[in-house]
Amino acid sequence: MSKRSFRLGCDIGGTFTDFVLLDDETGELWVNKCLTTPGDPSDAVEQGIGELERQVKRQMDGQVDGQLGGQLGGQLDGFLPDLEEVIHGTTLVINAIIERKGAKTGLITTKGFRDVLELGREIRYAPYDIFAEFPAPLVPRELRREVDERVRSDGSVVRPLDLEEGRAVVRGLVDEGVDSIAVCLLNSFENPDHERALKAIIAEVAPTLSVSISYEVLPQIREYERTSTTVTNAYVKPLTGRYLSKLEQRLQSIGFGGKLFIMLSSGGITSVQTAAEVPVRIIESGPTAAVIAGQYYGKRFNLPEMFCFDMGGTTAKSCLIQGGEAGVVPTFEVGRVQRFMKGSGLAIQVPVVDLMEIGAGGGSLAKVSRLGTLQVGPESGGADPGPVCYGRGGLHPAVTDADLLLGYLDGDYFLGGEMKLDRAAAQRAVQERIADPLGVDLVAAVWGIHDLINETMAAAAKTHIAEKGGNPRLVTVAAFGGAGPVHAYGLARKLGAPRLLVPPNAGVGSAMGFFTAPRAFDLVRSHKVALGAADFERLESIYRDLEDEGRRTLERGGATEEISFARSVDARFVGQGAETNIPLAESDFTTVTPQDVRSRFDAIYERLYGRTYPDAALELVSFRVRASLPEKLLELERIGGRDARGAGPGRNSADAVKGERQAYSGIAGDYVTHTVYDRYRLGSDHTFEGPAIIEERESTVVVGEDASVRVDEFGFLWIDIGRPEVNHAG
Amino acid sequence: MPGKKRTAFDPVTLEILWQRLLSIVNEADGAVARTAFSSLLRDAHDYTCMFTDRRGRELAQGSFATPGQSGAMALGVKGLVAKLEENAGPGEDGCVDGDVFITNDPWALAGHLNDVCVMSPIFHRGRLVAFTACVFHHSDIGGRVSSDNQDVYEDGLYIPFVKLFDGGVQNEAVMELIRWNVRTPEEVTGDIRSQIAANHVCSEQVCQLLQDYELEDLDGLADEIISRTERSMRDAISKVDDGVYRSEAIIEQPEGKGDIVIRAAVRVHGSDITVDLAGTSDQVDWGGNVVFNFTYAYVFMACKSIFDPDIPNNDGCAAPIHLEAPVGSVVNCRFPAAVAARMQIGHFMTEIVYRALADVLPHRVLASSGGTPATMNVFYGRDSSDGPWHSVLIRGGGMGAAGDRDGETSYIFPANGANTPVEILESDTPLIVETRELLPDTGGPGRFRGGPGRRVVFRVPDDEYAPQPNVKLGIQSGRYRYPPEGLFGGHSGARARFLVNGEPGNPYGLTRLQPGDVITMDAAGGGGYGDPQERDPDSVRRDVAQGYVTLEGARRDYGVVLEPDTLAVDEAATAALRAQPSD
Repeated sequence: MSKRSFRLGCDIGGTFTDFVLLDDETGELWVNKCLTTPGDPSDAVEQGIGELERQVKRQMDGQVDGQLGGQLGGQLDGFLPDLEEVIHGTTLVINAIIERKGAKTGLITTKGFRDVLELGREIRYAPYDIFAEFPAPLVPRELRREVDERVRSDGSVVRPLDLEEGRAVVRGLVDEGVDSIAVCLLNSFENPDHERALKAIIAEVAPTLSVSISYEVLPQIREYERTSTTVTNAYVKPLTGRYLSKLEQRLQSIGFGGKLFIMLSSGGITSVQTAAEVPVRIIESGPTAAVIAGQYYGKRFNLPEMFCFDMGGTTAKSCLIQGGEAGVVPTFEVGRVQRFMKGSGLAIQVPVVDLMEIGAGGGSLAKVSRLGTLQVGPESGGADPGPVCYGRGGLHPAVTDADLLLGYLDGDYFLGGEMKLDRAAAQRAVQERIADPLGVDLVAAVWGIHDLINETMAAAAKTHIAEKGGNPRLVTVAAFGGAGPVHAYGLARKLGAPRLLVPPNAGVGSAMGFFTAPRAFDLVRSHKVALGAADFERLESIYRDLEDEGRRTLERGGATEEISFARSVDARFVGQGAETNIPLAESDFTTVTPQDVRSRFDAIYERLYGRTYPDAALELVSFRVRASLPEKLLELERIGGRDARGAGPGRNSADAVKGERQAYSGIAGDYVTHTVYDRYRLGSDHTFEGPAIIEERESTVVVGEDASVRVDEFGFLWIDIGRPEVNHAG
Repeated sequence: MPGKKRTAFDPVTLEILWQRLLSIVNEADGAVARTAFSSLLRDAHDYTCMFTDRRGRELAQGSFATPGQSGAMALGVKGLVAKLEENAGPGEDGCVDGDVFITNDPWALAGHLNDVCVMSPIFHRGRLVAFTACVFHHSDIGGRVSSDNQDVYEDGLYIPFVKLFDGGVQNEAVMELIRWNVRTPEEVTGDIRSQIAANHVCSEQVCQLLQDYELEDLDGLADEIISRTERSMRDAISKVDDGVYRSEAIIEQPEGKGDIVIRAAVRVHGSDITVDLAGTSDQVDWGGNVVFNFTYAYVFMACKSIFDPDIPNNDGCAAPIHLEAPVGSVVNCRFPAAVAARMQIGHFMTEIVYRALADVLPHRVLASSGGTPATMNVFYGRDSSDGPWHSVLIRGGGMGAAGDRDGETSYIFPANGANTPVEILESDTPLIVETRELLPDTGGPGRFRGGPGRRVVFRVPDDEYAPQPNVKLGIQSGRYRYPPEGLFGGHSGARARFLVNGEPGNPYGLTRLQPGDVITMDAAGGGGYGDPQERDPDSVRRDVAQGYVTLEGARRDYGVVLEPDTLAVDEAATAALRAQPSD
């Protein structure tokens, strides 16, 4: 018997911890879900793995009994001995920031600049709201200390660091009882000597103290953003380190002998050591998995533009994937204090997958605004009390209530029938709280809730797609999450998108991302220089330093394979405020000419913004390297075989029709008869026309009458909207 | 079908269309952030995108808009559209598809020449349906960069209301004229192109919306949105008792000139509110003059923030808010008054309205803020290798306290914008920033404390990095003599200060700096709210721990005695001190 090899994806969310186990040989998948254990999250991990182990064992025993007559029975210990990798994503870090449960942190800055963290960028994000709140800095003022040193913008030293002063400052913070120290000095991205000296002093004065210096967290220009990022890193570093080492021990104690990897916000995976060193890079580790799955599908099915859409209970997260690649942006915000408003959170400047998150989910509440119009979201009833139909005390109708009343959801088959939905209560709530006050009939109110949340999502999506230079009329929308497949059809129509893709197990489908994520690490350094005056030898040495650091980072994580490097440079017109990223194919920058850089910049700029200005001079601002290891490929399981849900071979699509029900059609403006399909019975190459509803345990796919559906050999649904003659490229 | 007009929208469809209008303008806004050259636009967000219906009534506006532009622009664009209509023949629109207009007329728009407006009509199926416009604060507009200019001719290039594109064909002469009259031609022309791009995004999306919803025009939708918005504003205003509420402000002028007096009578009558500035000082012989639109913008800011801050801005918000300002006064100046420093007076309109209404709406207003007026610095010169450099910086000060909270730390208020990072400034210019920090005992004491003031120190290097002599610095700011006042017994915040090499300088002229010079600029602190003797001693203790208030300040201003070592509140000593009668 050949040795099997498994990988396990494990995503610790606020409510649930999700597990997906992959047999690398066959592509077979097992899924499990258990409640997160906030006291010690590794409890849930152990419990969930134990349950999976039993699930796999039962199945193996069944196979052994049935097919091999028990000859090998004694050798089958489940998957743990053959488990090669555990890939882990967690919301622990982001929650620690939002709930302010991080370490007591001190900050050391250049003399005169301890208030950078508090002053921020000074913009009022809500100009007419004089009571808008701002997030309090993670380090209070009394723990922000200064050293009398100074470096110029070109890296030369104005005033050297006085080591004795440095020691006194560090001792002062230690005496205050800090658990972690952040160091961020002005212009240190050009010359890190003083930050490094302070790091050495901290190691000497307080060897066990956690330290984060800005040059190592991310050496980029703009002092507020860099300070905020370094401070955030310092704030979560002790708890992340403790948590990850505990998780590692726990996994070892139950017999795991493979490697543990952590998902990065930028879409790669990295070693435990690196994640513990720069935890600020794993803040968005959870939601990133769906994007990585999207990237994989984009490549696997050769889709030039794909819009990955993941809609859950409180928010919708989405991302444009072009040529199988999601954009990575250099900054984002965490912990927005006011209704998802841009500018109301803490600035973090690390590479992160360009996810757009808005307050639109199944739990988004519908209300009558003061203006007497309908308002849906961003406030959410969450999971508890949740929508009115959950019967847990929710009073305000939510999007899920509308989806139920529109006939999209089956009140008796929600979560596979585990939860009964109260239709009458939902109807009463919409009638009393929306329809009556607005003076519209019930159907208009119910459809309005569904349609308005789609409009909100479409508006955000259009802006996001336009920013990336994409075209909403060409994208394939890929739906994930519990509510994603319910709303994807309406969203796609609003975008003018021709096609919709719904992967199997869309509720957990995002976890596939864990298996397709590259083992990669992104590095960046700022060094502003005019293109005309740039010393390409010097720039090459910056790239080589970054590559060396990338190699060390990956090797420290146990990598033995060949490491490849992808370089890029952020450039802009002289004086322009924003930079444009230019990928560089060359592995030696001295072989590149300024004209090469210029023409590539012009081409990219023109694609993004319509036109370029060849007469305006360019400057280079930041240099980036992605160090990565070869990707492990993933084979999708064919539905002709046995699938994760236990449907047998040779699915007979004729059995797939469960019945029909009345559901609302936006095109007809009325309820029409929809055919209801059981997704687990739909076989390969089966095709049918809308209006249809396709049900699986965690979600429901809605298809209108202008669309047609095809099931491919992997069980993916390809839904062509409005143009039935178009076939997909897969 | 032609001629078919939808006049009524149900509340559900209305909201969907409204959201779409807002997303269109935010998309245009985003295009600016990505394509603009000047850091004043990209980093400081000093621009506003909007669009109107066919008659020039504002429908939607970018959500990050700065109030001085957004409030003035709604009026301004309406005026420009009216001008087109006046000049049009019977049955004509006064413009054709592909036209793009440009102007920086301070009286037509946002009150100074640097604010350049680019406006484009939007045609759908051959019919005029809307106008889209954006105002950018350009980094330079030529002229003498100083607040002591004597007339608008000194302020810089004046672009009348002309066509930049005529039926789709660019008028090269206009661009060329601008290029040769500004110090930073690449930046200014690049930013004008960014304005054209923003309007283009807006136009395309408006047409798409009309097509998607099979609408002939925006008229019916505009009526509905504007009337609902107006109703909401009126509901809020009508809750205030009818009456006349008065306030008065004294604003300092440059050295040697008398003070300016602004007198406000705020009349609330039913659901209308009229701010009457009769009795206000005459226009002045320097750049502090404010055009009507800009005065209106900050009166509007005050009313909007008090009555209905959340509702998206459109023509309906402004309908119940009226301004009466004597022609020829400093708040409604006549051409050709110098206007470059109009924010030094104009920004005060908001706190004047707050102060008038404080007694009837004590929990909807703030004490005066150190960021009123905003501080703007324009540094320019030539570096050691004769290369020109130029940088515009804007900053705020401590916010005024409110009835339930301390003033925020440091913001531009009532205007809005972002600072330029020190690392960006230092890489763009030869200047070194020595300090950017909050100052203790500068927030106005009160039951709720004003936000602290903030110091910035610039040094002109005198080593091998020294620029050529005569680095020029133009400043707009204020509060050197009269500090931001408190409310309801709250004390004033600290005054602003301007020091050149440690000696008081003249913040109103053009300052010429030499290598080695050090400039210190302290922004004022915000005013306090309520009696400082009533401030919770533990809040005072926290302020001392954080360094916002000194030990002496705690005792002097708040009557709170702290143990110097532990900072514990000495309850007995505090009670005794607070029991003493104050003078």
